[in-house]
Amino acid sequence: MTRYLKFLLAGLIGLAVWTGATAAETGSAKQKVVYHINGDDPKQQVGALRNIQNHINAVGKDNLDLRVVMHGNGLSLVLLPDALKHTKGFKNANADAQQQAAIDNLKIQGVQFKVCANTVKGRMVNASEDLYDFSEADIVPSGVAELAILQSQGFAYIKP
Amino acid sequence: MSSSNELDLNAFVDGELTADQQAEFLEAMRDDPELARQACELGQLKAQLRLAYASPPPPRLRGGARVGASWRAIAASGILLVLGVVAGWLLPDDVERNRFVVLDADGRGQTPATAANDETRIVFHLTNADPLVAAELLDEVEGMLAAYQADHRPLRVEVVSHSDGLALLRQSLTAYGTRIHELAQRFPNLTFVACRNTIDRLRVERGIEVRLVPDAEVIDSGVNHVVRRQKEGWSYIRV
Repeated sequence: MTRYLKFLLAGLIGLAVWTGATAAETGSAKQKVVYHINGDDPKQQVGALRNIQNHINAVGKDNLDLRVVMHGNGLSLVLLPDALKHTKGFKNANADAQQQAAIDNLKIQGVQFKVCANTVKGRMVNASEDLYDFSEADIVPSGVAELAILQSQGFAYIKP
Repeated sequence: MSSSNELDLNAFVDGELTADQQAEFLEAMRDDPELARQACELGQLKAQLRLAYASPPPPRLRGGARVGASWRAIAASGILLVLGVVAGWLLPDDVERNRFVVLDADGRGQTPATAANDETRIVFHLTNADPLVAAELLDEVEGMLAAYQADHRPLRVEVVSHSDGLALLRQSLTAYGTRIHELAQRFPNLTFVACRNTIDRLRVERGIEVRLVPDAEVIDSGVNHVVRRQKEGWSYIRV
């Protein structure tokens, strides 16, 4: 009798291990990462966009939920050069043709670019005209709060 | 930097040098600010790595060694496993949402901490002496604290100033002593934290006795503190 019990238990354990392994596989579906940009140094931004491309190359675009959150001077990453005249507090507007191409390229691979509403309001930015390839869905109420919320949802934080 | 120096730098940061070597290295750092900066950066990097790779997966048991283990133990572990799977199924979703995750070596998440309630907890890490950066930080922090207070949402904020960022909390250097005091009075859920390592380093290397603004708390190490907070489930924002 005990022998049968042993077989039964062994079977149960096997089943549990198998179920657990399957659950673990589906659980690691997508890596979640948020990149934080709040500086306006053009070189650093080019470097950051390159970091992101390398990240995608390493993990694969289908395995990645990657967001870029910009606030303060960081909005200069998508700020069109003409906007410098009427916006407030920006020294750089880095969305020239070359940077636009890099942004397009990342967006095609699923990267989302998020813009802080506080910065838009505070610095007199007309989002739909001054920011490259902007849509309403790109706005978040507060860049800092968005970084905190995403981290609490399991996003890893990277500041390039 | 020569490669032997680089080896020393790593050994120094890892605490693997003998007392004599350590004294020699400290001497070298005093004469070479670039070396000191690199040591500081390497220390930070290693602390972050330790966090990212905290609680690595346990090594697999070598096959064969435990074959003779009693059936009772195996049965117990089997039952525990089944219970664990069922409990995992039944856990509410919001527990999942509150988890803080860092990446492991395979790029998957780990879960070193779970927030006890829905309180948002953020640690800001300031390492920069630029007063404009500090002003922007204080604006952000104030705006956020006010918004959460107005909505009755729980929030805790810590500003950890470390390395050059200590300027924000030094009486002789800060441009915002009054503002810091007003903010600390108005928001009991806001804490300004100064790094004791930085304070000690300024005394040893430059003979400066740091005087902090009265609202600053002091902790052992700024880097350790932000790592500890992240392990506890706080969100981290590098200013």
